[in-house]
Amino acid sequence: MTYPHELHPSDEQLSAYQDDELDAAAHRRLGAHLAACPRCTARIADFAALSADFALLPPESPGVDLAGVIEGRLTAAPGRPRTTPRAPGWYGLLPLGIGAAASLALGIALGVALPTGGAALHRPVALTVFDPFPPGSLCAGRDACYARGALSSGVMR
Amino acid sequence: MDDADEALALRARSGEREAFASLVRRHQDRVFGFLLRMLGNREDAMDLTQDAFLKAWNALPGWRPEARFTTWLFQIARNAALDLLRRRGSLQFVSLDDPPQQGDAQDPRDAGPLPEERLADRQRIDLLQRALAALPAGYREILLLRELENMSYTEIAATLGIQEGTVKSRLARARAAVLDNYRHHAGRSPDDLSA
Ligand SMILES: [Zn+2]
Repeated sequence: MTYPHELHPSDEQLSAYQDDELDAAAHRRLGAHLAACPRCTARIADFAALSADFALLPPESPGVDLAGVIEGRLTAAPGRPRTTPRAPGWYGLLPLGIGAAASLALGIALGVALPTGGAALHRPVALTVFDPFPPGSLCAGRDACYARGALSSGVMR
Repeated sequence: MDDADEALALRARSGEREAFASLVRRHQDRVFGFLLRMLGNREDAMDLTQDAFLKAWNALPGWRPEARFTTWLFQIARNAALDLLRRRGSLQFVSLDDPPQQGDAQDPRDAGPLPEERLADRQRIDLLQRALAALPAGYREILLLRELENMSYTEIAATLGIQEGTVKSRLARARAAVLDNYRHHAGRSPDDLSA
């Protein structure tokens, strides 16, 4: 018997088979089961039809070149290294601006002091407080909180 | 692996705005499409697409080339989407990964064929969009990442911050939930489907 604890492979196995995400041995074993089982073959066909439905969805686009919009918003706001304080609003953001300026100065100083360093050394020290997690990852129950734990345990590649 | 993204991201990380603009142009449609389908309206999707790229710019110093840029970008976008859904009060607190209850429902494989042959493409799209809108956000996002973004289980795990085993089980449940939704609507007339 190929699946001793159950007569048929689980949805999970069938779904992973459909995605070609089973290891070679499991894929072969399931393929052999499918060849003899109309019931599981029908389930796989449903999964395949669902994928085909996704392929029918029309491509979406914002319809504008967001790079230009974002460039404008970046120019209007401070906050990244090597962005010269051209925008008039920059000075209005004190004391944040003071911190940024101090960081920038320190970063430049470090860059000068360590000319053989990589690009990372030229970054203002203040920016190293950025954690590697993307912003906006507030917790709201288990499904929103798992990102931090999993990432810090090395899931990220 | 798209090395061009990583090369651009490295340049953007060191402050090159032109490189970042290229990244925006390369990915704005994908991020917008993902957010549109997560949120259900273009205005929110447009706002959050911009926000996601601005957050990406600000967070780029923390990005490491070991992390694929698109995976990292989609982490930012999905976090923004979940935050908005939470603020709207439309984030459902349901268990996505617990095993189904024993005897909960009929085995779907015994439920009879889906009406796919009878439905035109337009109806199938309507049916899918209706099903997606009805799903918990956690199922919706994993389906979008797999079916539209063609992410591998490893990439989905990194994007969602979950184990690959959880990707496998959650994706199967998400698919089963859409198929259940299809069956639920299959008894209705085609007019109802497009209503
Ligand atoms: Zn079977």
